[in-house]
Amino acid sequence: MIEQRHADGPSNLAIAIPLATWLVLYFAIRFYLESDAVIDGSVRLALAFLPTPLFALFLWKFIQGLRSADELERRIQLEALAVAFPLGLLLLATLALVQRAVPLDPENWSYGHVWQIFAMLYLLGLVLARRRYA
Amino acid sequence: MKNRLKVLRAERDWSQAELADRLGVSRQTVNSIETGKYDPSLELAFRIAALFSQRIEEIFTPGPG
Repeated sequence: MIEQRHADGPSNLAIAIPLATWLVLYFAIRFYLESDAVIDGSVRLALAFLPTPLFALFLWKFIQGLRSADELERRIQLEALAVAFPLGLLLLATLALVQRAVPLDPENWSYGHVWQIFAMLYLLGLVLARRRYA
Repeated sequence: MKNRLKVLRAERDWSQAELADRLGVSRQTVNSIETGKYDPSLELAFRIAALFSQRIEEIFTPGPG
């Protein structure tokens, strides 16, 4: 994730634990909401927001990690995001056009799929940036 | 930017990891500077110059690394 940090920053484990917990909770709630369970609409909505604080915690730890990172690591993370963010925008913009051109199957193309591509774009950017400075 | 970091380090018989420790950066950063893939910040350049008791321009010179 974030390499080469000074001792005052959070460990990779401290960053990964909230992320991993968020992922587990996210997919558990998604699985539950997609099931045939009969529950009230407001409860369903509350469940949808339940994982959010965990992601906020991850984000806080991640930013702390970035701030304590070595200057080259900060550059690498910036370049990774510089690749991922515009590609993510391009993906959303293109999907918006494609959606108007042809009917998209929500089973294959929905918010539930697109955020995972964002994560992959960040990882792609990270690999490219690390390779550049290796 | 060209630099003499590798030469200066070799003169003191320091490993990249040892130099990185002294500068408070990662070994990867030292390696990237030595190979000319990364130009350090002004702050780090000053730290490098101070560590080797030289002026910045004696270590770093303009031009492709």
